[in-house]
Formats: sequence, structure tokens, C-alpha cells
Amino acid sequence: MKLSDVVANAGLAIYAQIALVLFLAVFVAVAWRVFRPSRKADLESAGGMALHDAPQSDSPTSRLGAIA
Amino acid sequence: MTTATSAARLESFSYDDDIVRKFMWATLLWGFVGMLVGVIIAFQMAVPALNLGVPFLSFGRLRPLHTNAVIFAFAGNAIFTGIYFSTQRLLKARMFSDALSKFHFWGWQAIIVAAALTLPLGFTQAKEYAELEWPIDIAIAVVWVAFAINFFGTVARRRERHLYVAIWFYIASIVTVAVLHIFNNLSLPVGALKSYSIYAGVQDAFMQWWYGHNAVAFFLTTPFLGLMYYFMPKAAEKPVFSYRLSILHFWSLVFMYIWAGPHHLHYTALPEWASTLGMIFSVMLWMPSWGGMVNGLLTLRGAWHKVATDPILKFFVVAVTAYGMATFEGPMLSIKTVNSLAHYTDWIIAHVHTGALGWNGFLTFGMIYWLAPRLFQTKLHSTRLAEVHFWMATFGIIIYATAIYSAGLTQGLMIRAFDQTGRLQYPDFIETVLKLLPMYWARALGGTLYVAGILVMWYNVVMTWRKRPAAYEVPTYQAAPLAPKHVDPAPALPNGVWARFQAAHWHRIWEGKAVTFTVMTTVAVLVASAFEIVPTFLIRTNVPTIASVKPYTPLELAGRDLYIREGCFNCHSQMIRPLRYETERYGEYSKPGESVYEHPFLWGSRRTGPDLAREGGKRPDLWHVRHFENPREITPRSVMPRYQWLLQNSTDYGTIQQKVDAMAMLGVPYGAIEGGRALTQAEQMAREQAAAIARNIEKEGGPAGLQDKEVVAMVAYLQRLGTDIRKPAPGTTASTQGVTRAAPAGGQ
Ligand code: HEC
Repeated sequence: MKLSDVVANAGLAIYAQIALVLFLAVFVAVAWRVFRPSRKADLESAGGMALHDAPQSDSPTSRLGAIA
Repeated sequence: MTTATSAARLESFSYDDDIVRKFMWATLLWGFVGMLVGVIIAFQMAVPALNLGVPFLSFGRLRPLHTNAVIFAFAGNAIFTGIYFSTQRLLKARMFSDALSKFHFWGWQAIIVAAALTLPLGFTQAKEYAELEWPIDIAIAVVWVAFAINFFGTVARRRERHLYVAIWFYIASIVTVAVLHIFNNLSLPVGALKSYSIYAGVQDAFMQWWYGHNAVAFFLTTPFLGLMYYFMPKAAEKPVFSYRLSILHFWSLVFMYIWAGPHHLHYTALPEWASTLGMIFSVMLWMPSWGGMVNGLLTLRGAWHKVATDPILKFFVVAVTAYGMATFEGPMLSIKTVNSLAHYTDWIIAHVHTGALGWNGFLTFGMIYWLAPRLFQTKLHSTRLAEVHFWMATFGIIIYATAIYSAGLTQGLMIRAFDQTGRLQYPDFIETVLKLLPMYWARALGGTLYVAGILVMWYNVVMTWRKRPAAYEVPTYQAAPLAPKHVDPAPALPNGVWARFQAAHWHRIWEGKAVTFTVMTTVAVLVASAFEIVPTFLIRTNVPTIASVKPYTPLELAGRDLYIREGCFNCHSQMIRPLRYETERYGEYSKPGESVYEHPFLWGSRRTGPDLAREGGKRPDLWHVRHFENPREITPRSVMPRYQWLLQNSTDYGTIQQKVDAMAMLGVPYGAIEGGRALTQAEQMAREQAAAIARNIEKEGGPAGLQDKEVVAMVAYLQRLGTDIRKPAPGTTASTQGVTRAAPAGGQ
């Protein structure tokens, strides 16, 4: 008896649908966590990180204008 | 920010911008080369003679070079440019190892050179965007691991607690690309530059498009989104519009993209459930993708006036808009009925180019214009020229897209048109091709304009580089190291499980934990893949076998390898869908059981020429010989390239035994037919069959003495295609056709 026989008889076809529901559930959970009002200040402050990534140095990059 | 300030001691460090400069030059170089090859084959589509009759310049061999060069060389180097620049800054740490950075750079360029040599020479695995043969695949894996070590080493040594969302996108890309690459490329070598996929038929197709679609997702989408979330705020000088939306964007892509692959296989021999699942997830993807697009565009709130004067922002705005268009179109194309019209036509080519030229190209150009003055520590040579480049590229895309969308729709509609008597309105495939020629000219023009724009950028960047200082300034920065164990001040937990759950800072802690985060992402990707792939591989009823389907003869196998070498699958499909206009045109639709010995599958994805799944017996042998010699003598104005060298090259009989042995090792039952003769006398069998075919060609009035020429092997293969199903199954009467079970391939 091969592994494929075992799996073939295990009735797994429904698993894909179960997984779909699971993934949707996790997604909704993440969405809900992220968008709770109490998280707003906390998270949005992180949104500025790309702009504040040259700590304590007057770098040549920050001194130059973007473009001529 | 969130940096732990508990340690008062500050550390000094500097960034490695040298590696960023290297990757940027490579991006410029390969961007030009890859797209130039695209323009060349675009012209060949209109004028096949432009391949000059040289094998390695023919369409089937250059097309994979174009796609690989644009995806892995141009987009790849662009990603690395942006990642090496932004990661160091976002993590406040120099790259983990300069040596690994250099190894990554030179290793990647060596792989590109290897690809540029082997693909035109016809060494290919025949799987789209995974064409490179096994030694190069191993090199890719090694270089990728070096990159991963370097990246995660930097994450481990970071001086910034919170991982900015761009870093998440990078992590997901690095992990997933590794998984995809390894699983799709598992193959059995049969020589230094030749291998057979360990998967066959439906399973190989499924694996390939799981890979293929996720290559789009995790090579052309997520890393570029990481770049967008970093460089867009930089250029606009505004924080990202909604950081929370970006988190949602991230997780939904990771959770959904991995499922979407089967939408490339609608109406094929793939089980219906898998195809439906792929469709549902693809449609769901529309929402988060647009969330991301809106997030990108709204980052410009209050900065829109700058767009008028700043070419960088212009490039970014068009890039994000193109992302929005492509991610709207993608879900639409994955709906089965829409797909039935668009699949196999230029519509898909148009879709891809909206993404590649618009999203990946423009984001990269914007990034390079932003980076060049900073990396060369001077001002950009000319904003005017950047502006000129923007308009050239924009018009290039507009011309390209208009032409190729029209071509796709035109051919799709012609292929399915019936006249009033219920017969195909355009029964000759070539009619549908000739209609497209003006559009092919327009496409070539649009492409040329786009590539010319890149030359303008080259000039601008080189002139900027020439104004660099004698020695680059390498500023040192200071930041506190992270405390080894970061503990958030514990809040008093309220009573009740639910309340505690909500109050716990799990999400915050989690976002700061790189290892946990990486593991979570990997688990999401692996679980989704397993749920989708395992049933296809292990549930036997998904691939009903057909008793009359037998392995190829040794000569046919050799012919099949020529079909692979020449890249015929770039223009021809071998998969007839269960739709009336397909079966009317090509014959009985393809069954999953017909491709159980196909290592690799050759279903194809684009029909520039007609489907060949039932080509066997349709034409006399001599017809094929003459057609290869010059298709235009048989079918006036055909755009198929000439393959006159097939009539001149000698068949490599010496390797046939090795090929049969390899197939047998992969489970193709050569032992069970003709008493297993193929296992010991493959070469002899091939010579016998070739002699018979050559005699027949002569009898039909063709040239004599072809038995040792490649064309005979190719004809043997073509004449076999799709014929097994008409033969009686062993031990049954002819009328049952040997089909064990009708395939649940969907249909109308
Ligand atoms: C640039 C795209 C292109 C490539 C590459 C290409 N073909 Fe074609 N092929 C066509 C077109 C278009 C037609 C239809 C016009 C014609 O009959 O020439 C066609 C027709 C055919 C036909 C005739 C089908 C029929 O019965 O009407 C065969 C067989 C064929 N090609 C085999 C091949 C093989 C084998 C290769 C690789 C060595 C190949 N083609 C490469 C475009 C291509």
C-alpha cells in the first residue's frame, strides 16, 4: 500500500475549503487587530520611520536636495 | 522612536553604499539588455526573417532570455539596490558582512551571464521563468542563501527595535522565493546542462504555476512594495498615508497570493476544485492590492503640487497606478469566463507588461533618479532629461498597451467566432495571426521608445557619476544597541481571558521579533502551499489514468527534447480546453491522463501558433519537413521562424539511452512495453524508427537520406502527439477508447 493510496482514501478534498476558511479567518483577525482605534497612535507613529532613518548625523544625503 | 535607550552607550557605524552603487549599475545595464532583447523579438514577430536564420537568435530561444533578463537581472538587481540601501538605514546597521554582499553581487551577475549564454544555446528546463538548467539553479540557491544570511544577520544586529513594514516585505520575499525556487526546480540531471523535472503532467503544471504566479507575487510585487513603502515617503517627504493599511496589505498578500497560481490553468486538465480555489483567492486579492495602491497614492497627500515639477514623483505615481491597474485586471482575468477569452492570447502579454513596464520599471526608474545624486553625492545631472525619459517611457507603454490589448481581444474573439451555420468563422489559424501584424508593428515601436528612454537615463546617470567627489564621504552614525532582552513595561492585565487577550501587547512584541515574524510568514506560505499541492499529488482520482496512453518511443523522446531546445512551447500550446470552439478547431479536449509521462509538461501558455496537442496524424511527414524548412512556403505570411537547421543537424543518437534511462528512473514504465527493449536498445530502436520515417518522407516525394537528421526525430514526436487516446486500450475493444474515467476538467 502506497502513501498515495492512504491519502487518496482519507477524504482530503474538503481540506482545501477548510483551509480557505481558516485563511480568511486569520486575515479578518489581523485586519481587526490592526484597525482597532486603540492601536492607531502606536502604529501610525511607526509610519514615519522611513523619514527618520539618519540618526544623529548630518549626512550628505540629508543635506542634498532630491534633485537639481 | 522605539529604540531601547536603556543602554546609554552609543555605537558608531557607517553604511555600505558601495554595494548599492554596484547593484544600481547592474540594474541599468541589464535593464537595457533585457528590454533590447524584448524589442528584437517584438520585431521578429512581425518579420520572422529578422532572426537572420541563426538558431540562437530565433524566437523560441530568445523569448526566455528576455523574460529571465527582465525579471531576474533587471528587476532582481533593482530590488537588491533598494534593499541594500533601505535595510541598512531602517535597521540602523551596516550590512552583516561586506564579503557576503560582494559574493551576492558577483554571484548574481555570474548567474545572469550563465543564463545569457545557455538560454540562446537551447539549454532549458522548459518551465516559464524557471528555464535555467540545474547547475545554474544550484548556483541561484547558493547565492540566495548568502543573501539571506547577510540580510538576517543585519536584522539580528539592528539598532532599531521595530521592523518597518518595508522590511517585512523583504523578509517574505526572501523566504518565499527560496521555497518556490527549490520545489519547482527539482529535477533529474541527464547531462551537464540537461535535466527532466521530477514531476509530470498535471502535477508539473500545478507546481510550475504555483511557482510562476508566486514569482510574480514574491519577486515582482512584494519586494517592490517594500521599496514603495520606503522610497515613496522619501521622495514625497511625507510619512506613508496609513501604516495600518500597509500592515493589512502585507498580511493579506502573504495569506492570499500563494493560493492564486491555478488561475493560470483554467479549463486545462487541472482538477476543477483547484482551479476554482485559485479563482476565489485571486478575486479576493483585488481588495488588499487596491488598499496598497490607495495607500501609496495618498502618501502624496499635500504633495501633489510637487508631482508637476518632480520627475521622481511622476515615475512613482505612474508606477503605483500601474500596480492598481494590473492588480485589478489580474483578478478579473482569473474569473474563468474572462479567462477563457484572454488565455493563450496577447491579452496576457499586455497584462504582464502593464505590470513590468509600468509598475516594476517606473518604480525602479524613480528610485534610481532619487538614489543617483545621493549615492554619487552630487546633484542629478539634469532634471529635464529625467522628465524627457518619463514621457518617452509613458508614451512607450501607452503605444505598447493599446496595440497588444487590441491584439489579444481581436484574436480571442476571432478564435471563438462561429458563423450562422454553426461552423468556425476563422477555421484557418493563420487568419487570426495576420490580423495582428499591424499591432505587432505598433508594439515594436512602443517598446523601442521605452528602451530609448533607458538610454536617456543612462546618459543622465553617467553624467551625474562624473560629477562625483574625488572620494565619497562616508558619514558615521551613532545609535544605541538594542538591549539583549526587550521587555515592554508590563501593563496591569484586566480580568477575563478576552480582555487580557486584547490588552496584551502581543502584536507589538511580535512585530519587533524578527525570528517569530519570519517563522510566521514561512508557516503561512508553506501551509497554504501544502493544502493546495498535496491533494493534487496524492489523491489519485485527480489524475485518472488512461490505459492506452504509453510512453514515447526513444526517437520521439529525442524529438521532444528538440521541441524543448527550440522553445516551440513559447508559441504553441499542447492543451485543448473543453470549450466548443476549441474542440471544433483542434479535436477532442486534453485529458489529465494524457500527460502522465510528460516530464516536464509542455502545455504552453501562449498560442502564437495553433495548439499541437492533437497534431499527430494531421499532416503528412513531408508537410512537416517542408514546413520546418520554410513555413512561408506552406502557409503564406506565417510568422513561424524557419528551422532549416533541423534538416542539417545530425540527431544525437548517443544520448538517447541515457534519456530513456532517466525517464524510467522517474517512473515512466519503459520496462512494461515491448518487453522492456527500450531499456537496453534505445538507440537501435530510434535508428529503426528514423529509417522508417525517412523512407516514408522519400516516398512522399521528399529528399532522401534524412534518417540521421534531427528533423526526423521532431516529426516522429509531432506525429505521436495526441494519438494514444484513439488507440484501443490493451485488452479492450477499440470503441471504448481506453478512457477510464471522463476528466472533471470543467467546461461549458
Ligand atoms: C514565433 C512563434 C512560433 C514558433 C517559435 C514556432 N511556431 Fe510553429 N507555428 C507558428 C504559427 C504562427 C503557425 C501557423 C502558421 C503556419 O502553419 O506556419 C505555426 C504552425 C505550426 C505547425 C502546423 C500546425 C498545423 O497542423 O497547422 C506545426 C506542426 C508547428 N508550427 C510546429 C512548430 C515546432 C515544432 C516549433 C519549434 C521547432 C515551432 N512550431 C515553433 C508559430 C510558431
